[in-house]
Amino acid sequence: MFSPEGALDKNMKVLVVDDFSTMRRIVKNLLRDLGFTNISEADDGSTALPMLKEGSFDFVVTDWNMPGMQGIDLLKAIRADSSLSHIPVLLITAEAKKEQIVMAAQAGVNGYIVKPFTAATLNAKLDKIFERLG
Amino acid sequence: MSAKTGVHVSLEQAKLLVEYLESDQQEKADELIAEIQNPINSELFAEIGKLTRQLHDSLMNFQLDSRLNDLATADIPDAKERLNYVITRTEEAANKTMDAVESIFPVVDTIQKQIKTVNPLWQKLMHNKLEITEFKNLCIDIDLLLTTTDKESVRMHELMTDVLMAQDFQDLTGQVIRKVIDLVREVEDSLIGMLTAFGITTHGPAQESKPKVGDNLVEGPIVNVESRDDVVADQDDVDDLLSSLGF
Repeated sequence: MFSPEGALDKNMKVLVVDDFSTMRRIVKNLLRDLGFTNISEADDGSTALPMLKEGSFDFVVTDWNMPGMQGIDLLKAIRADSSLSHIPVLLITAEAKKEQIVMAAQAGVNGYIVKPFTAATLNAKLDKIFERLG
Repeated sequence: MSAKTGVHVSLEQAKLLVEYLESDQQEKADELIAEIQNPINSELFAEIGKLTRQLHDSLMNFQLDSRLNDLATADIPDAKERLNYVITRTEEAANKTMDAVESIFPVVDTIQKQIKTVNPLWQKLMHNKLEITEFKNLCIDIDLLLTTTDKESVRMHELMTDVLMAQDFQDLTGQVIRKVIDLVREVEDSLIGMLTAFGITTHGPAQESKPKVGDNLVEGPIVNVESRDDVVADQDDVDDLLSSLGF
């Protein structure tokens, strides 16, 4: 996922999961602005999971509250599957209960952004996530 | 109902009984005797009578309030349609705005790229270090930049007008939502009226009403952050909480 210099590989395969197409579009645009070009989309966890199992994704950005499979359950499913468990997961959600943030942390989330959010926040969280992994 | 249970005859009742008997009103006299013997029953009947009247009045009021019927059969379905309209309009606006912005991004990138091309020779010119042979190249680059900027700034102006116009949803959806708020208020009033008609007191919720949550405590956007202590207020709160967990 990283070049020898430790710089982030902007060709990494990213999956953006959100039930609202407008939010997917916003996240995609922000990621593209940061140089990520290899971005796929899914509208909930149950659509995302088979995509993850098939394609070698390097990073997942997901909403929490979606019909079908929720983001937190997708995170748990990713962590429970040995072939996927290494994939970093960033939650971008309107869910703001402290209990939920603790729940996400315990489930092994790599970053948590509350909506509404800014491009700068996304940028900072991505840096932090990949800095840690690198 | 023997004397042991303490049947109590008042002077008025005794006088009344004598009066009934003297005026040959046997039936009324019997009724009076029954009432004296069993005062509880008559009170009970009076109470049942009162309740029956109340119930009757309540039911009549309930039927008369045809507004409730209208609310349930017409206004609420209409409100659902209105709220769907809000979803559609806001989605359209978001997409229109993003269409425009996504068209502007590459234009800005192109202009920036051409400026970067022009800049080295331009700096040389500014510092009197430009070779005469380089001058022609500089002119070509500047010409391209001017042509591009001229053409694309007109296009960007159009796109920004599109962004501007896409914001007209705010006015329209605002009006629609205000109407739905009025409806909710009316339903609330009608429900309170109904509870009052049935004699149920309606002063405030018995306890602080808890927001409805789904699986994994999902609640959606928090609209009353100030009055809640179980939620984070912003991203800084999230970061603090996570770092306290060793993140």
